[in-house]
Amino acid sequence: MTILKDVLAELFGMFVGDARLTAAVLVVVAASAALIDLAGVAPILGGGALLAGCLAVLVAAVLRTARRKKPSE
Amino acid sequence: MIEWSIAAPAIGSAFLASVVEIVEAFTIILAVASLRGWRPAVLGTGAALAVLGGIVLALGPLLDRVPLHALQLAIGILLLLFGIGWLRKAALRLAGVIPLHDEEAIFAAETAYLGEEARRKKTSLDWIAGITAFKAVLLEGLEVVFIVIAVGAGRGLLWPASLGALAACALVLVIGTIVHRPLARVPENTLKFGVGVMLSAFGVFWTGEGLGVEWPGADLALFVFAALFLATGLLAASLARGTSRELAQ
Repeated sequence: MTILKDVLAELFGMFVGDARLTAAVLVVVAASAALIDLAGVAPILGGGALLAGCLAVLVAAVLRTARRKKPSE
Repeated sequence: MIEWSIAAPAIGSAFLASVVEIVEAFTIILAVASLRGWRPAVLGTGAALAVLGGIVLALGPLLDRVPLHALQLAIGILLLLFGIGWLRKAALRLAGVIPLHDEEAIFAAETAYLGEEARRKKTSLDWIAGITAFKAVLLEGLEVVFIVIAVGAGRGLLWPASLGALAACALVLVIGTIVHRPLARVPENTLKFGVGVMLSAFGVFWTGEGLGVEWPGADLALFVFAALFLATGLLAASLARGTSRELAQ
């Protein structure tokens, strides 16, 4: 049972290790889908928004953690 | 016929991710072997590899039945969550905000833990050692299995990606057994950074295709995405280093 619990914890941590990062990525994907399917924007522009959003989420996630933690060395 | 523009990054990602994860698992396998010999270490490792292989064999054909666009969207989103997560951690390690993986320290801690666990539970040390090796390989291998399935499913690349991961696994285990010490000199964070870049690029590519985007240049767009994630990851690490230094002053 401990092993099963550890496996489930590992799987959860793989995708939801940082809850804010997970939420931000899902928001970017949902916004891109809405642009393409609801707003009728050309799919390639929706794809561009997806790419730009993911890059912005990466920078924001790294900087947010850096502001909270002191350097390790 | 394999399209190498997509197969090469898929196999490469599976290979590099497998190197990173098996190096981490090997540290624990070695602690087990140092304490109780190679028998429980090999048995635990073999059993875990069999379970991981079983997962790939069971899930692979099942995923082939899912409609392609739905599969691309679901796997693309999971790849984005996983890949950007890896990239974030690698960038923070590169910036010195969080410490690098120290295989020597993990080896010492795991050896001490195993000895203590055997004394406390009064169970056969061989059993504890075997289970410890099994758990280490299973938990580290889960990430590799996800990567193999994610980059392989939908394009008929499950076998090439699996072989890439297995080759890395064999390589690390053979080198580790010969060297007989934790593989502390493997540039783990650089590899993790590279894999994070590739997985994030695959994530954008699949998610976009799942949403109906036809990327200019088709599969070659993957390399443009990878270059952008690499540049952004390095920029984020550099900005984080500056922020971290300001906070330390």
